[in-house]
Amino acid sequence: MASIKVQSLRKEFVTSDSTVVALENASFEASGHVFVSIVGPSGCGKSTLLNILSGIETPTSGIAEITEGDKKARNGYVFQAARLLPWRTVMDNLLFVQKDRDAETRERCQRYLEMVDLGHTANKYPGQLSGGMQQRVGIARAFSIEPDVLLMDEPFSHLDAITGRSLRKELHHIWMETRKTVLFVTHDVGEAVELSNRMVIFGQGGRLREDMKIDLPFPRDPADDAVALTKANVLRTFEELDLVAS
Amino acid sequence: MPRGLRRFWRSTRTARAISIVSFLVGWQLLIPLLPTALIPTPFEVGEFMWAELRADTLAPETVYQAFATSLRRLVTGFGIALLIGIPIGLLMGLFKRVEEFLHDFVVVGLAMPSLVWALIAAMWFGFVERSSIITVILASVTFVIINVSEGVRAVPKDLLDMGRAYGTSDLHRVRHVVLPSLMPFLFASLRYGLANGWKGLVLAEIYASTSGAGWTIRFWYDARRAQGVIGYALFFMIFALLAERLVFRRLSDRVFRWRPSQDQPPPEAEGSVQVNI
Ligand SMILES: Nc1ncnc2c1ncn2[C@@H]1O[C@H](COP(=O)(O)OP(=O)(O)OP(=O)(O)O)[C@@H](O)[C@H]1O
Ligand SMILES: [Mg+2]
Repeated sequence: MASIKVQSLRKEFVTSDSTVVALENASFEASGHVFVSIVGPSGCGKSTLLNILSGIETPTSGIAEITEGDKKARNGYVFQAARLLPWRTVMDNLLFVQKDRDAETRERCQRYLEMVDLGHTANKYPGQLSGGMQQRVGIARAFSIEPDVLLMDEPFSHLDAITGRSLRKELHHIWMETRKTVLFVTHDVGEAVELSNRMVIFGQGGRLREDMKIDLPFPRDPADDAVALTKANVLRTFEELDLVAS
Repeated sequence: MPRGLRRFWRSTRTARAISIVSFLVGWQLLIPLLPTALIPTPFEVGEFMWAELRADTLAPETVYQAFATSLRRLVTGFGIALLIGIPIGLLMGLFKRVEEFLHDFVVVGLAMPSLVWALIAAMWFGFVERSSIITVILASVTFVIINVSEGVRAVPKDLLDMGRAYGTSDLHRVRHVVLPSLMPFLFASLRYGLANGWKGLVLAEIYASTSGAGWTIRFWYDARRAQGVIGYALFFMIFALLAERLVFRRLSDRVFRWRPSQDQPPPEAEGSVQVNI
């Protein structure tokens, strides 16, 4: 079982003329088969947190670690843009992040491509796919390493409503099937309510302002009364917390 | 008009052919009216080129020998320019200090007319093979440097981060992210470095050599044989076209197979430097 631990985390970005504090005393924990949505105002450090957890950035001080048992966990990361290598085929993009390149690995990659309905595009280049398809390749890539934890940073915000909806459904199925820990950053409260069973609200500097369980049965239809009500409640909490960026 | 004929009449290729043919015919008809013997008719130029192609020439070198000599110098010089330019370009792209230190020299190098390089090399090294090759190096190395350094700065950071997040090794990222993203810039440096090196080479051969295509065009000039000069000018054009069709286009189709559509603009990267003087 994977567990995520963030403790008194601080991150400063030092540029030539100023220092920006992106995270200040951020703390947060999650483990097991949970789907945690992180929402919060723009610039509160959500992406920075995921970047530190994935090893792209190093913390200024504090702890940020993801463990699987007593080992370092393997993370899949789905970015806001697909971030595919344009000069490699879809299959080679998946192979790029694998440890091995044997037949078994290829087969696994092909399986995850099929999971997002893109089995037929293995030999195409990303430029030959639509934006939604590229994003699905990004998702397949994240799952293809069979990660312990899945980090997602607004993965659907660039997509049109219809594509976004079908991908959310797909993501939900995969999460139920693979039983991974998912950390899902979003701006869209409706999306968060639809997908997650836990939701945390960050304030400026990544300070934890609210941590709530969402105990509705899956699948959740956004038009459903209970779902709509929960969404309205979350939005009210937002207002009460007065999170509008200062 | 029957349909086939109409299509023939309307096609742009027909229009271009007609324009070339009428130019040649006009030229042929006009020459006898002019009071000079220094302008050859197209027929004379054609005759000259045909004789050259059959290796029948008054010059010390046939057209094949002349171009082979020049090509050898060009390739040697540009090869050395790559060996010098790529490491310097990498350093300039990676380290701001190096960039600041070399920037002005590179810009001056880009703007310097090839003629100056040819004259300097001729003055310092004289009539030896070396001076032509050094001219090629001087005239092309700055194109390599500037394009490689721009390329390094244009390496997509988001893709490098992606690779890092997935725990790939440095070497793996250099091979699959950095090098492919540099390719358009290397290509630009190849194209423009070679073009500028070639111009420098021809001048160097005119001033400081006793062989090669540049020297042979000088031979015809000294012999007051205008059809030789014009014929050689046309050989230069043919040479450039062949290089474009047989080398650059094939290479670029191969390297940039991943680009969405084949009829897109040439593979030079945005921001690659293509100044030509
Ligand atoms: N590489 C960087 N250099 C300098 N400042 C940075 C850098 N990355 C982020 N920041 C700053 O850190 C703060 C947090 O940024 P971050 O991208 O984590 O916010 P976010 O919560 O993801 O916002 P959004 O919801 O708009 O994506 C911002 O003020 C941002 O300007
Ligand atoms: Mg963000």
